[in-house]
Amino acid sequence: MESSFRPVAIAVEVIILMGVIYSLFLAVKLSAFDFGLEEKYQRFIDWVFMIMGCLALVFFVAHLITFYPRLLTLTLH
Amino acid sequence: MDSLTRFWTGQEVYIMKVFLPIIIGFVVLFIGLLAVSALSFWWRHYRLWYLGKEENRSDRGALRLKSLLAVTFGHLRFWKELYPGAMHFLIFWGAILIFLGKIVRLFSYPVGLTNPPQSIFKYASFVSEIGGLLVMIGGCMAVYRRYIIKPSRLETKPTNTLIYLWGAVLLMTGYFVKGYRIAIIGGSVVPDWPFWSPLSYLISRFFLILPTEPLNELLVWHRVLIHALPAFLFFAYVFMTRTPLQHFFLSPINIYFRNLKPKGVLVPIPNFEEAETFGVKEISELTWKQLLDLEACTNCGRCQDVCPAHLSQKPLSPRRMTQNLKDHLRREGPKLLTTPPDQRQPEAIMGTTVSEDELWACTNCMACEEACPVYVEQIIRIIDLRRYLVLVETKYSSDIRLTLKNLEKNNNPWGMGRGLRTEWAKDLGVKIFSEVTDPEILFWVGCCGSFDARNQKVANSMVKILQACEVRFGILGNEEGCCGDPARRIGNEYLFQMTAEANIEIMKRYGVKKILTLCPHCFHILKNEYPQLGGEFQVIHHTQFLTELISSGKLKLTKPINKVITYHDSCYLGRGNQIYEAPRKILKSIPGLKLVEMERHHNRSFCCGAGGGRMWMEEHIGTRINQMRTDQAIEVKAELIGTACPYCLTMLFDGIKEKGKEETMAAYDLSELVDQSM
Repeated sequence: MESSFRPVAIAVEVIILMGVIYSLFLAVKLSAFDFGLEEKYQRFIDWVFMIMGCLALVFFVAHLITFYPRLLTLTLH
Repeated sequence: MDSLTRFWTGQEVYIMKVFLPIIIGFVVLFIGLLAVSALSFWWRHYRLWYLGKEENRSDRGALRLKSLLAVTFGHLRFWKELYPGAMHFLIFWGAILIFLGKIVRLFSYPVGLTNPPQSIFKYASFVSEIGGLLVMIGGCMAVYRRYIIKPSRLETKPTNTLIYLWGAVLLMTGYFVKGYRIAIIGGSVVPDWPFWSPLSYLISRFFLILPTEPLNELLVWHRVLIHALPAFLFFAYVFMTRTPLQHFFLSPINIYFRNLKPKGVLVPIPNFEEAETFGVKEISELTWKQLLDLEACTNCGRCQDVCPAHLSQKPLSPRRMTQNLKDHLRREGPKLLTTPPDQRQPEAIMGTTVSEDELWACTNCMACEEACPVYVEQIIRIIDLRRYLVLVETKYSSDIRLTLKNLEKNNNPWGMGRGLRTEWAKDLGVKIFSEVTDPEILFWVGCCGSFDARNQKVANSMVKILQACEVRFGILGNEEGCCGDPARRIGNEYLFQMTAEANIEIMKRYGVKKILTLCPHCFHILKNEYPQLGGEFQVIHHTQFLTELISSGKLKLTKPINKVITYHDSCYLGRGNQIYEAPRKILKSIPGLKLVEMERHHNRSFCCGAGGGRMWMEEHIGTRINQMRTDQAIEVKAELIGTACPYCLTMLFDGIKEKGKEETMAAYDLSELVDQSM
């Protein structure tokens, strides 16, 4: 029997994945500046990562909607 | 040939095909991470510290190790503030438990602990669960404090947010991995999962909405890509970049190499006669330990919260100074490393990274060093910077100029004639030390007791007590010179050494063995710093001596003083030399006196504002520190302020006048109170 929890499950997966992506992008950006990249590139990097992040989000949502398995009914025991 | 093995989860897997790549991947990543960490440590930290001068901090290894373990695992210095202390304790121990549990489970398959899971596997699972829970609670406390309460001393940067977020993702995906695994196998192999993995079991109930095959697939994806790989990258980020989390290896190193001498003990300039420069002008003139201090600072701000200069709106913040110097090191250090020594033109610290107002605002009270959880040393660095300004650039205010001139000409900071040093004692029948038969003790009066009108009364009281107890004592009289504290704290090391060497020579000539001081600054310098110049004496502060006299019954206090008194711990007696109880024992021995403590007492005492040479400098910026301390005494409704330091007595006496409280409050030295009660 199909569960109506599928969108909720997909949303949770997307949040986790976006958390990982955001962390990785922010780490790359902070590392770049820590290693000596000049401050003037800050806006450029922000825009690049924002665009990549949006693309990743679209990809994850599309991929999960398409491939996430059909769910059973939730029974807590 | 690879064989099919029934795994404890119920799956039949080709072990080599499935696990071998994981093990190889882990080993490669792990070795890679180790290599990156070692290289990064050397490149970004060690070679910068190596720029600094030599300093021996390798003595007493056993004591250092014991101290490191106690401070690190017991979080001894964190508990001064309950909320951040508990928060950090939970995060620290939670992380340790997660690590321990993980290590056991990571290597459990090759040693036969997993298929089926043995007891130790289940214990490791439980330990990780509890560890994760502790980190979650501590993490939530930290996030609440940083983003909701927002204490002023915390500076929040993007890297702080990253650490919280990344940590939360790793924690959550870690529980999810276990949850998926429990959902797959159910209770068939481990019926008591709810006990061994309570949180993961709870999460696994939600995963029962997934059929088995997708569950398996999600388990692999989450484990490898969403948990393990980000975990490795997290550690790589922590080791390679300069994040606050680097404190988990920098802080223990700094704690191990910490100063084991009493706080506030300065070191002489080596080879004074031949030295080409004095003090610290640029970053590589600090010692390697001072450079390590800069990097070990976690930017927590505890020092700032207790600094009397910062709290009275002076430009100084010990945290800010340390962080600015850290940035200076990271900016200038690599340039120095790539330039031949004879071509280096490093940027000066003063005027660019540290301002003169900041430098001179320090009262050397050591509150910052007392509060610091990782034992960063601030005082010696500040004095080193002062030494450069004073001895090389001769750049200081007119107040300081006058004080130094008075010390040089007349051997006292007031510039009063040397012959007037014994005026206070002329009618008291005090003998010169050389005239005393079999003297027990030299009474070192100090410049305040000799020349300052208010403090001469303290010296008078002390003499009366000594005579009443029939102590065989003498004074050096006009041969006594300034102990050198003002000169040394101002940064004129040359003048200090001249003064101290003269005093040592005189005392040795008279065969002085034991010295009684009125002043904690004299006490500190005679006890802890004169030995550097060959002056080894047994030094006792007058509160310690009075306590001994009272305990032995030689001194009986019978007249009551029916007042409420608060005791002000002077910095050089308390924090500097750990003398807190002797003065309180004296006060408790005086009948009628009721002792109340100010909010900041014992090792958290608030400076009177006169240390670090500031007794001789005008206070032009912000609130007067002595008034702040007087306010704290007024808050506890004290009628008397007891003190054991002439500087503190002067400052509190002035503070009471400035606050218009002379009718209801008075400041006394403890020896005066004892004299009144005899």
